[in-house]
Amino acid sequence: MPFNRRAFLGSTVAATALAAVFPRVSLAQPTPEAGGTLRVAVDQAVSVLHPLLTRVNPEYLTAELLYSGLTRLGRDMLAEPDLALSWEGNEDLSVWTFNIRPDVTFHDGTPCTADDVVASFQAILNPDLSSPARNNVGPIDKVEAVDATTVRFTLTSPYADLPVALAYNNARIIPASVIAGDFDSLRSTANGTGPFRLVSYEPDRMVVVEKNPDYYDPARPYLDRVELHVFPDFGAQVSSLMAGDIDMISTLGPNDFLRLDGQDGIDVLRSESGQFCNVNFGTDIAPFDDPRVRRALALTVDRDAMVDFMTEGFGTKGNDTPLNSSYPFFKPLTQREQNIAEAKALLAEAGLPDGFEAELVASDRPAIRTQLAVALREMAKEAGITINVITMPHATYLDQVWTKGAFYVGFYNMQPTPDGILKLLFTSDAAWNETRWNNSDFDALVNRARSTLDTAERTDLYTQAQAMMNDEVPSIIPAFFDVLGAKRTWMQGYDIHPRASVFRLDHAWLDASAPTKG
Amino acid sequence: MSASYILKRVALTFYTLFVVSVLVFGITQILPADAAVMMLGENATPEALEALRQQMGLNDPVWLQYLHWAGGVIRWDFGISMRTGQPVGPALFSALGTSLTLAVLALALMLVLAVPMGIIAAVRRGKLADLAVGFLSYVGVSLPEFVTATLAVLLIADFWGWLPPAGYIPLTQDFVGGIERLILPVTVVSVMMIAHVSRMVRSELVDVMHTDYVRAARLKGLHPRRVLFRHGLRNALLPTITIVALDVGYLLGGVIVVEEIFSIPGIGRSLMSAIQARDLPVIQAGVMIMAATYSIVNFAADLMYAWLDKRIQYD
Repeated sequence: MPFNRRAFLGSTVAATALAAVFPRVSLAQPTPEAGGTLRVAVDQAVSVLHPLLTRVNPEYLTAELLYSGLTRLGRDMLAEPDLALSWEGNEDLSVWTFNIRPDVTFHDGTPCTADDVVASFQAILNPDLSSPARNNVGPIDKVEAVDATTVRFTLTSPYADLPVALAYNNARIIPASVIAGDFDSLRSTANGTGPFRLVSYEPDRMVVVEKNPDYYDPARPYLDRVELHVFPDFGAQVSSLMAGDIDMISTLGPNDFLRLDGQDGIDVLRSESGQFCNVNFGTDIAPFDDPRVRRALALTVDRDAMVDFMTEGFGTKGNDTPLNSSYPFFKPLTQREQNIAEAKALLAEAGLPDGFEAELVASDRPAIRTQLAVALREMAKEAGITINVITMPHATYLDQVWTKGAFYVGFYNMQPTPDGILKLLFTSDAAWNETRWNNSDFDALVNRARSTLDTAERTDLYTQAQAMMNDEVPSIIPAFFDVLGAKRTWMQGYDIHPRASVFRLDHAWLDASAPTKG
Repeated sequence: MSASYILKRVALTFYTLFVVSVLVFGITQILPADAAVMMLGENATPEALEALRQQMGLNDPVWLQYLHWAGGVIRWDFGISMRTGQPVGPALFSALGTSLTLAVLALALMLVLAVPMGIIAAVRRGKLADLAVGFLSYVGVSLPEFVTATLAVLLIADFWGWLPPAGYIPLTQDFVGGIERLILPVTVVSVMMIAHVSRMVRSELVDVMHTDYVRAARLKGLHPRRVLFRHGLRNALLPTITIVALDVGYLLGGVIVVEEIFSIPGIGRSLMSAIQARDLPVIQAGVMIMAATYSIVNFAADLMYAWLDKRIQYD
């Protein structure tokens, strides 16, 4: 075989993919034991129980316990079977066929068939419901039941990532009869096909679920019961974990991570992730309509300092693109470093030799946004750029600045695919077109990458797209955050997912030393 | 206590609530956030948003929106929460029940501790007991509850491991577990009130014990204990009722902080998360319920005052 770049890329990606599919299986693993109640601390109320309308991680977790999707997202960011046993796309990836598991029943005992899948996706795609999944499940034109166990998705354009996209947190399968009947009942009750059934629901205090004896996987879940306890105060979460009052903290900050690290009986969990905080330019508003000005500002950023300051060391450097090694199809570009002289030269070239003054808006939630804004203000000073930081309440920001402003701080979770994050924020047809960059060459690259299954080709296309972003800088992405969590050592079969919104507690189990066991 | 006095006080309470309702509604209108966007999220289509605005009457003039809302409140209908899509009333009243459990226990603890502390300090004026009570109440008054709460968790829960650090279990579900989790928050909420009230009892009692009628009672040979309790304390406690009623206002505020730190799903926490999410119907209803509680407690305090002290008849 002649050695060329593409073949090389393909092989490394294949090797990486292989390593990701089989993580840590080489070590002897204890056999999971059944039973016990798992007590999980979540940091926000479970305000929304309706599985198609959930918006925050504790709500995603609840929906994941109670409902199934067609597919689910593995730790390797690839699609795994859930209700769908297998799937296949046609030649140009515009028609996909999913084979549904037979003999699955909802918690009320009624069978779950292709009709329920079709009705669920029609509900998701119905604009009146405003399900957050609508923009994330791919360019679906039509969903049909071919027979009781086969569903066909016809797309408006080819989409290689459909199986991953269908694993989106809100794309859950619910009974067609509920959709046709009392749809709002899902706001306070649940009827899914998930590994657990709803026992009680108190939005601000606790959600309790118990093992679904009719779950399609006879081996799982291992736990008898899961309780989600709402702890708005991080200190209370940490204290309760140390006291053994809870078994797992779903989300943790760096300070609490350090406090728990090394404590007896506690494992801290950490994963690199594509979560980032960025500075968006309204690329249609002067002076940010000039790519040289944007690049100049990007060159003032000391990225090592940003990792230290923003993530307290729990993060990785960003390169002004939303992709990093947590994503599939990723190949790094040359890392941009701080270069004040070049920044000044670019500003002079752009007709701003004395720099300029601008107002940078940062909302107050999470607080990291303001930290980024203040750090950039200090770094940009060196190049003669004066930044005035304006902090405002998050709701005000969403109303007045977000997707409209000239210069503001954004904060985003990792998406399941490169396509997911690029189509969410940076293409001309992005759901949240924050920067109005509207670059048709970039759009073309992203669209080509979604119409092939060839890993090497996709990697190449996303690398070109990254290079284009890195060059034109619609947004400064200085650093990525690791996602952090913690658990008691007696809880096993759980590790934190890079996307932070996927939990897979159907794999979790408690060993004999857990207090709720026996 | 005349009927006209009670009527007047009732009318005043309703007037207060009316003013509060206008203020609350006005302030939530000024908050810069589109209620429809908050409700449907960032993914909503412009058409869906417009339809919701029509449906919720967000395009109506403000005064009409106020009348709709106030009319609902009078009919005990507080609207639909923007976050949960569920009626606001039942959720808030259940949260209020949780907060009241906390508040009533804190008040009880305060009365049980503060009144004896005040009496001891007054009787042993200038002695060690008086100094100790004085010192403790100064410390109590000067420590805000977020400090006492954090210290309590760090020491009692984290370090000694005597009590669970946070959480809430309804007493009807698990009495022991529920009480265990209430001890720290109840103590924290009552610390500052104990400090207030014990100082009040002490100084009032000292004053009363120097009045002519107490001296007369002593001189006619009554047992000192009878003088203290029958003639002294009874009069000294009157102003304490006012302080306790005012402290209910503090209690409602303190409870917000304590509920947040100890993860107690009370009305304070509902209000906090509603404010963060700009859930306007919950904010409006929550503030109204708190204002109503405060007004009613003060109304009750006034009545009690008039009943205990026949000289207070106003007219």
